[in-house]
Amino acid sequence: MNDKTTWEFGTRQVVYGAIGAALYGVFSWATNIFPLPAAGNISFRPAVAVLIFFGVAYGPWVGLLAGLIGNTIGDALTGWGLYWNWSVGSGLMGMVPGLIMASLNDFKARPEIIKAVGWGTLGIVVGMLFASLTEMFTGGIDLSTAIVGYFTPAVIGNVVVTAILLPILMIAFAGVAARRGR
Amino acid sequence: MLVTWKYRPRNTFIQRLDPRTSFIFMACIILALSILEIWDYRIVLPLFLLSLTLFLMARIEWKDIRRALIFIFILVVFIVGLNGLLSGRGGPSSVIDPNSPVLFNVWMVPVTVSKAWFAINQIVRMLTMALLAIPIPYTIDPNIYGTTFKRMGVSDKVSFTMDLAFRFLPTFARDLTITMDAQRARGYEMDKLKGGLIAKIRRLAPLIIPVTMQSTVTGEEVIDAMDLRAFGTAPRTWLKKLKYAPRDYFIIGLGVAIFIICCVLKWGFGIGGFIVPDFFLKAVTG
Repeated sequence: MNDKTTWEFGTRQVVYGAIGAALYGVFSWATNIFPLPAAGNISFRPAVAVLIFFGVAYGPWVGLLAGLIGNTIGDALTGWGLYWNWSVGSGLMGMVPGLIMASLNDFKARPEIIKAVGWGTLGIVVGMLFASLTEMFTGGIDLSTAIVGYFTPAVIGNVVVTAILLPILMIAFAGVAARRGR
Repeated sequence: MLVTWKYRPRNTFIQRLDPRTSFIFMACIILALSILEIWDYRIVLPLFLLSLTLFLMARIEWKDIRRALIFIFILVVFIVGLNGLLSGRGGPSSVIDPNSPVLFNVWMVPVTVSKAWFAINQIVRMLTMALLAIPIPYTIDPNIYGTTFKRMGVSDKVSFTMDLAFRFLPTFARDLTITMDAQRARGYEMDKLKGGLIAKIRRLAPLIIPVTMQSTVTGEEVIDAMDLRAFGTAPRTWLKKLKYAPRDYFIIGLGVAIFIICCVLKWGFGIGGFIVPDFFLKAVTG
């Protein structure tokens, strides 16, 4: 699927980081226009599955940059301002699943898909925990508000979307990569 | 469906500022309020008025910013303000003062004078930071984000990733539109996704998968083109040049001065902690 060097940062990582960021921004913006129905303050963002896919397929740097820059782009498109901690949180969300990039060989194999979804879930927990907890310093909220009001809804929505869409993305990518030959 | 940036040339003082100035000033205020844990209204209120002034000087049209402002206002008032009012948590321990007079009870939870003042403080404090963050997409040209971060010390590769991402965006938005139209022609109903939640999310796949897969193919072509031009073998030059003007030095100086003054007040004189002013105490207790 790729050259399997986890921490390499070359042209490939720059380009796919940019592509991941642009896609994350576009899909985030599109679901703002066509919001998926949800309960309470839980929102479902299909863009998160794409972000985690880029981490899994191209490594931690790509995941980090795609989340970091993609969230900034999404904020810029929707006009909600610039919130560095949520951008870093999104970056972590893409970076953590990228750590298993080198160990994935067959994107169609069920165990590897399950592994990717598991690491994606870990990434979501780490990223959203970082963003929610830093709100305690930047926003002055308390721990229970950070966990109940910010962290839990974000994690639930993102995990559901990832569990559904990431396997489809991985299987589709296996087909594309096989045809492309690299 | 057309991707449009919130940025438009407006010829205002704020827009004439170097983009680095906006980021540095915002960082100074956020650091002053959050790292130093400033809760004193005598500091928070002037900073709020300063943020509001800068926000108004950006002259962003109401129709453009209405949605963002409503969203931020709801978030701040209902999540942060109500939480402060009912629990009093999230700030210094002095907010939960057992001797503070009780104003009323909400479901057996006492709302005290100090909690009420804390909630107001909290809302103003958060709005101070939000009013500096909101105008950024409206006042900074998306084409110079890459240059801006490069000039702020970020590496060439990361800055170029940012620059490239902004350039890819219209292409992928167009791809998304084309895919959506093609799927609609096959009977796909974007606006009427049927079934349960999982089915609805799964039915987004015909939109997301083609656009994402096409982008991975595009990526290989871009990598080849960049490698042929020896990308990354030497430091880059940047087409856009940024130059500080006197107004930038003034705003950056103001931001740094505010941060230093807050440090001196907090650590030198012990001013900046949470206090309930007498006028508020008298006003609410009669």
